[in-house]
Amino acid sequence: MGGIERIESADVRLVAGTKGLNKRKLIWAGLGVLAVVFFGTLPFYYDVHNGQYGVFFFNVFVYAIVAQGWNLIGGYTGQISLGQNAFFGIGAYTMALLWFNDVTKTGYYFDPVLMIASAVAPAIVAVLVGLPLLSRLRGDYFAFGTLGMGMIVTVLFINGGYFTGGAEGRMLVSKMPPDVVFNLRTHYWVAFLVAVLVTLVVYFLTSSRVGLALKAIREDEVAAASHGVNVLKYKVIAFAVGASTAGVAGSIYGYYLLQVTPSNVLTQNWLFYPILMVVLGGTGTILGPWVGAFLIYLLSWYGDQYFTGYSPILSGVVIILVMLFLPSGIMGLGQKVPDWGKRVRGSG
Amino acid sequence: MGSLVQVLTNGILLGSMYGIAAIGLSLIFGTMRIIFIAQGTMIVLFAYLVYWSFQKAGIDPYLSLLTVVPLAFVLGLGLFYLLFRKAAALEDRNVSLLLAVGLMYLIDNLILKAWSATPRGLNISYSSAMIVVWGLRVSWLRLALLGLALASAFVVYAFLKKTRVGTAVRAASEDMEATTIQGINSVWVSAISFAIGIALAGVAGVGMATVYSFDYQFGFVFAIKALVALALGGIGNVFGALAGGLLLGIIENLAAYYVGIAWIEIASYGVFMLVLIFLPQGLFGRRALVKKV
Repeated sequence: MGGIERIESADVRLVAGTKGLNKRKLIWAGLGVLAVVFFGTLPFYYDVHNGQYGVFFFNVFVYAIVAQGWNLIGGYTGQISLGQNAFFGIGAYTMALLWFNDVTKTGYYFDPVLMIASAVAPAIVAVLVGLPLLSRLRGDYFAFGTLGMGMIVTVLFINGGYFTGGAEGRMLVSKMPPDVVFNLRTHYWVAFLVAVLVTLVVYFLTSSRVGLALKAIREDEVAAASHGVNVLKYKVIAFAVGASTAGVAGSIYGYYLLQVTPSNVLTQNWLFYPILMVVLGGTGTILGPWVGAFLIYLLSWYGDQYFTGYSPILSGVVIILVMLFLPSGIMGLGQKVPDWGKRVRGSG
Repeated sequence: MGSLVQVLTNGILLGSMYGIAAIGLSLIFGTMRIIFIAQGTMIVLFAYLVYWSFQKAGIDPYLSLLTVVPLAFVLGLGLFYLLFRKAAALEDRNVSLLLAVGLMYLIDNLILKAWSATPRGLNISYSSAMIVVWGLRVSWLRLALLGLALASAFVVYAFLKKTRVGTAVRAASEDMEATTIQGINSVWVSAISFAIGIALAGVAGVGMATVYSFDYQFGFVFAIKALVALALGGIGNVFGALAGGLLLGIIENLAAYYVGIAWIEIASYGVFMLVLIFLPQGLFGRRALVKKV
């Protein structure tokens, strides 16, 4: 593993160039704790079930989870995965089918076992698909392959017959335990907790040796490999972790909808919006997905209210404008050394 | 046996649509490495224009090639200079990908607003005209599709081989950086390839209007089909892309005939994955263009 230390020292040099980083880090951590405390206690003084901002923030959290997962594979590792909607759907369906068929016999609402299962199932698929794809392809071809995987998964769920419920999917309302009242407060907290957890996982993963390997792969795959980084291993790890976060988000969303169908958990929106959120927020930054998720969902929220029916047109325009004028994202604005911003064609 | 030949024929004829789209994608991807996911949407847009000019003014779809293709070319130039010029120069692929996604959302929903969600299809006087050769029933319109595809492939091929700009486009798809060093205006080369890609979407739009029933959501799936055809045939080869399209048509029709219509998609995307994994340069592509690990 001598290679990683070499890269590490290069990274340290880069970091040493920006003075006062520790102080900045502390400020960010403090702001982060404040935000967590604020959003974590929000249901105590705001009625998230009846107030409209409960649904709003719940959706932001779910998108933030998916976006954070894509950030790991697409942002930090630089492998554009176009299969996040498949993993989201697999997660949602894992939860729905296990619950619907009473496999675990627990019958809880927000069953931790089911949620873990819906994180594990996409990860398994990601490893199975990722190993052949990532060992042979990179860059755009990986994007093609994951796109194909996403289409296959979608068609499989539509054609699943009795097993998946076909195009109607599975209604889960009848499975609600009789003593549980549907309260959005639970959803809010679960989504928030998972979103924070996923952010922490991505943060510690990317600031560890794994993260250095991932960034090395993003910058120059051949150089990383020649310095002893096991490129395939780290790519598959990033792909699988990204997939399982999308899966958990899928199960949480499934608990919210209580009806899992191909048209609501496998759509293009769960593929392209998280990518947009990451890129708008700042690719390869820990807060980028949060900023992106908040802003993009805010836009679509008010777009739906004030421009009813024209919201998809609006989001198309917004995507184009963001990419034209903010291609390196909001988090890239304040940074003096945006290490992804200056990667001009031909240098990689 | 006769039915198998019929299935193969239908496959080739319908696959020629994928072929035209794949040649366009190949030009755009080849020079700029943009995954132009909005290609299908552009085709649907032009199909609507053809449909509209037939319904309103009674212009024959094949006559409207004369207006739609130049219009598409100019639109392509405009889109390139407006949207993709800067993004094409970035190493970050996400930007150009998302630009194409944004364009897709925008045009899809503009189509929805302009022409509603009802699927459209043209009914021309010769829609059902058939030709019977050795017991094979072939619709004239589908035969015309193959003609369109072959003609587009030959025109693009001649352009790439015989003209100076075409030579520059070929050079750019080999190595953009080296091309720039040779004093070739890489922006202009990219613009030309992009515009031709969109012009081919115009050609495909005419084909789609005459044979398919289409709606505003048809574009995304069609773009991915074109991508499958491109991967099958291999990037960097005009006739390879066309052959990939024909092959995809055959695969889909065989799957529909032997397995069932619901499993067409599984067959085509399954072949897509297998080709990507085991034969990333495609059947007719050049090995050197595929970066392997």
